[in-house]
Amino acid sequence: MINHMGRFLLFLLGLWVMGAGAATPEKVLHLELSAAETGFDPVMTSDLNTASIEQQLFESLLTYDYLARPVKLIPRLAAAMPSVTDQGRTWVFTLKHGVYFSPDPIFKGQKREVTAQDVAYTLMRFMDPKNRSPYKFLVEGKIIGLDELGEAARSSGHFDYDARIPGLEVLDRYTLKIRLKTTDYNFAHAMAQPMYGIVAREVIEGYAGDTASHPVGTGPYYLARWTRSSLMVLARNPNFRHEVWNFDPGNDPDNQRIAAQMRGKLIPQIDRVEIQVIEESQSAWLSFGKGELDMIGLAGQFAPMALRGAHLKASLAQRGIRLDRISDPSIAYYFINQQDPVLGGMSKEKIALRRAIFMAQNDEEMIRVIHKGQAVRNAYPIPAGVAGADPSYRSLLDYNPGEANLLLDRMGYARAADGYRRQPDGSPLAVRYTSSLSSQDRELDEMMKKALDRLSIRFESEKLKFPEILKAERQCRVQIRLSAWIADYPDGDNFMQLWYGPHTHENNGSCYQDPVWDRLYEKTLTMPDSPERDAIYHQLARMLELNGVTKVSTTHIRNVLSHPWVIGFKAHPILPSVWSLLDIDVSRVPQP
Amino acid sequence: MSARASETSPGLWTLAWRRLQQDRVGMTALIVVGCYLVVVLLALMGWVAPDWTREVGVNYAPPVFWADDQDETAQPSQAGQALSGPVPLYGLQDPLATELAAIRAQHPGAQEATEVPRRLSLPLGGDKWGHDVLTKVIKGSETSILVGLVAAILATLLGTVMGAVAGYFGRWVDDAFNWLYGVFTAIPYLLLVFAIAAVLQQKGVVTLVLILGLTGWTGVFRLVRAEYLKHKSREYVLAAGAMGASHMRRMFVHILPNTSHVILVQLSQNVVGFIKSEVILSFLGFGVPVDVVSWGSMLNEAQNELILGKWWQLAAAGVAMAILVTAFSMLTDALRDALDPKLKY
Amino acid sequence: MNLTAFLFRRLWQMIPTLLGVVLLVFLLFNWVGGDPAYVLAGKMANPDDIANIRHQLGVDRPLWEQLLIFVSQIVTGDFGNSWATREPVSEIFRTRLGPSLVLLVPMLVLETLVAIVVALTVAALRGSVLDRTLMVTSTVMMSISLLVYIIVGQYVFASLLGWFPVKGWSDHLWRNLTTYAVLPILLGLMVSVAPSVRLYRTFILDEVGQDYVRTARAKGLSERRILLVHVLRNAAIPIVTNVLMGLPALLTGAFLLERFFAIPGIGREIIMAVERSDFPIIKAATVYVAMATLLANLLGDLLYRVLDPRVHFE
Repeated sequence: MINHMGRFLLFLLGLWVMGAGAATPEKVLHLELSAAETGFDPVMTSDLNTASIEQQLFESLLTYDYLARPVKLIPRLAAAMPSVTDQGRTWVFTLKHGVYFSPDPIFKGQKREVTAQDVAYTLMRFMDPKNRSPYKFLVEGKIIGLDELGEAARSSGHFDYDARIPGLEVLDRYTLKIRLKTTDYNFAHAMAQPMYGIVAREVIEGYAGDTASHPVGTGPYYLARWTRSSLMVLARNPNFRHEVWNFDPGNDPDNQRIAAQMRGKLIPQIDRVEIQVIEESQSAWLSFGKGELDMIGLAGQFAPMALRGAHLKASLAQRGIRLDRISDPSIAYYFINQQDPVLGGMSKEKIALRRAIFMAQNDEEMIRVIHKGQAVRNAYPIPAGVAGADPSYRSLLDYNPGEANLLLDRMGYARAADGYRRQPDGSPLAVRYTSSLSSQDRELDEMMKKALDRLSIRFESEKLKFPEILKAERQCRVQIRLSAWIADYPDGDNFMQLWYGPHTHENNGSCYQDPVWDRLYEKTLTMPDSPERDAIYHQLARMLELNGVTKVSTTHIRNVLSHPWVIGFKAHPILPSVWSLLDIDVSRVPQP
Repeated sequence: MSARASETSPGLWTLAWRRLQQDRVGMTALIVVGCYLVVVLLALMGWVAPDWTREVGVNYAPPVFWADDQDETAQPSQAGQALSGPVPLYGLQDPLATELAAIRAQHPGAQEATEVPRRLSLPLGGDKWGHDVLTKVIKGSETSILVGLVAAILATLLGTVMGAVAGYFGRWVDDAFNWLYGVFTAIPYLLLVFAIAAVLQQKGVVTLVLILGLTGWTGVFRLVRAEYLKHKSREYVLAAGAMGASHMRRMFVHILPNTSHVILVQLSQNVVGFIKSEVILSFLGFGVPVDVVSWGSMLNEAQNELILGKWWQLAAAGVAMAILVTAFSMLTDALRDALDPKLKY
Repeated sequence: MNLTAFLFRRLWQMIPTLLGVVLLVFLLFNWVGGDPAYVLAGKMANPDDIANIRHQLGVDRPLWEQLLIFVSQIVTGDFGNSWATREPVSEIFRTRLGPSLVLLVPMLVLETLVAIVVALTVAALRGSVLDRTLMVTSTVMMSISLLVYIIVGQYVFASLLGWFPVKGWSDHLWRNLTTYAVLPILLGLMVSVAPSVRLYRTFILDEVGQDYVRTARAKGLSERRILLVHVLRNAAIPIVTNVLMGLPALLTGAFLLERFFAIPGIGREIIMAVERSDFPIIKAATVYVAMATLLANLLGDLLYRVLDPRVHFE
């Protein structure tokens, strides 16, 4: 009985919804995140999943052009690109007028405009030790006077946001002058990060202690509903300014198709974006197949279901599903701890051992078996799409187990009676490979085991939780690991710094401290992207191989599938999300 | 089952064996379990499935009866490896220049490992590397059953000794063990597993056995303690005490055989439970290391293979495990019925 | 001894157990539980940042001081904020427990009902072909791993046949119960019903062998009446106790089901906390579950003593 009643009510409700919906069908985009978000205070954000949502809620001063490749910076909250003088040390940003924060009770019904003071406040927050910001490295040691404020707060326990510092000078309501300590051409990239989205001081102070659940920004959407680590619903920000989709498609036919569909439309076109956290990739894939999700980033292991080579399978193409395929601005690289008692050191034997281990890694097999073809061999530390990349770079450490074995033989790593090699002094030799508990990493363990078997070196496995791996790495306790790095901003420096000596205990997991390398690297810091810098980068990359520090292995390919009703999508290598630039063709959305 | 136990109380065990023989389901289960144990022994001796790590087939080789399935992942990648000539050093010195030059002079031509031809299909198919699933399933049975057995023996041993001591001595000893029992049962199972796994550090089959054993003793403890409480004041025990038998003797020579049916059933139950737990532990990343294969590691590996249409590994491991666990559970039931004459029906 | 004194004594006895749990968990997780500072600090943190974070989390204080804080947290019931997301721990339990219960309570109810009905049926027909078939079936059912049920079930019933949504959750209890929770509940039942059936069958058979059944038969009562009224009433005691003992497990959710069906439950959250070394959540979960377990034990004992006249308070 109750059941029948319930069905009848649902039926009535359905009629009502259809009646209401007929006038203006709501455009809803259904998406997934593969890991839970962590909270929406940009200053505290460290992961890309959270950043993809913040990209829509908050606005940074600058952003990247949607269609231009290689990526190009364009203004977002700024009215124009900043004026840069004094050899990249003085930056003047002028804000757009009439940009308002999304409504919030804190504003007591008033519309609240963004000012230069908000920008200064936002930047100051990064150095407040209370916020323990994971992305403060983009401004740390750069803005004159800001680090000192952070130091003072560390001892006093209170950050003085009212202090005036020479580095952040508010010229008028809409103009901010930023003075840097040294030349830094990458500062503009920092100002385009979603973590550097502008916030209002009264909101942050009004929700002190709980800012992560009160995101108030100027972006095209606001957070309408949030079931933590499960569901986020973004709805159109009523205060969002009048902004028209207008990107230059250039000559690319794909871009021209997108521009033809989107140009002249107001941003955003989609009314609601629903993002669900789905950790199991089987669930996400099946959901997409049923149309419960409108778009999906294709997990590598499912590529054979959807792709044949680099193209969509006919069964999916017939359904109108589209594939966007770009090379990720990321690298996967092996590194060996240079301070390890067994593998580290600069003697010829140790260098040979490390290079032999690298040469035994079969990258092609990894691409084929583990990544199912959804990765490419890339030996250069800077991946394609990032300033300074070199796709034609040739590695010294390509797969060559024959030579690797000969090298070990020659250097005195003799095989003992059990078939395994010993160190030249006769002591036992085993290599410990560190990886996480995930099932993907189990496959990588298998790869490494096979590689060491080829060399007759004993394989040991160290399985740790991810936080423990990081800790071991930062303390130079890892022997060998396959790590990955994805560009924060599209400049080669973001990658090359991974081997900088002073970054040992930070993110130089190889703990490589070579004065020659370091001096060369330091030269590049004040150089813009140029052939001169590229020449030094090539030397740096080659030294990493010659000394057996690292082997850059592969670069992933990102495959995004979208259903035919999603309009205007083009995968962007740097922007974590582009939802406000899309549209939905309501007539093609299947009715349940 | 146990020769020594039947000497002390021949009636119980002979009767139980007779009862078991009349139980058709129980006997079938016993035969099935026996077959598995034979396979485990053969695998242990290396007579079957000697080397599961050999890559004998192509990636995802289909089972012979399904051989029309073509794998599309085996696309050669178009990496620009064809470039020849020396790799530029950008003006740097190679520290190994002399050694490499010598090697190349001695062994001209690339030293490529000769590829062994691989089979296009395998009896039960191949996994993503081309390992034979049949070999894996046999080797996996060996690991899973041994892990289950050894862990169950460990858990039963722990539970029995603690239960015996607690039940026999009573008073503060009992209180202490009961307290430990209370603590272990009050902590959520998974968190206990995580904590113990983290403490044990060293990864390997031994760790897995220890995790299962150290978390699984509580059930045995409870039952054995209850038995000892019951038996310690029985006349035969008091008589043994009067004749000068030590506590140890009374506990383990006199009382133990009379509780052995409870222990045996618990042991059998634990084997089943642990074999199933191993799957979940593998899912959480606490399974066997990469050079060992088990049902849990296979199921976990095959997790994503089903929707790729590569169902054979999931099926093989799932079925092999289901049959053994079913047979073992039924054997447990039959044992309980045979050993507990009160439960007539 | 009367009921109040018994209760008082039992409650008093809980304290040492609880202390043991606290101490064990504290030591295990502090000793080896991992240091979340390195993850929280992000991609480029320097040792100063790590020290700053460790200081803010309080993990740089002496162990005894941290233990004291833990104990005071238990007393006040305020476990602070999650280290990874800064969400209050109480909030996490308040909001994540609901979805887990929507999944697990119907599962427990259905499991119990189905198990009782099946157990009564096979007990009535003990030794028959149906008895054997049902027992074999249930044994086979519980022999397949839950992981296999989920992987195959989701693929076949949600995707291929399209009978259920693949995943999802809403704010509406009714919608969750009728749409999203159906498949996970059914899959969960596949593994959980069989052990209950087997257990309840032995409870019922235990009673069938008792003298009072023979007396009832001698009086000429119908077999059905004996089974449904007399036997069931007595077998109810162990059954209810068994259900009661299962209650604390509700607090830890069902992480496999929750992960595969994207249900925002507590099981997922606890596993995530362990992966992130989010100690406040782990501590709270352990303490809550330990308390619930102890209370359930106490209730079970009480029930036995109240319902079963043969047991007396000692």
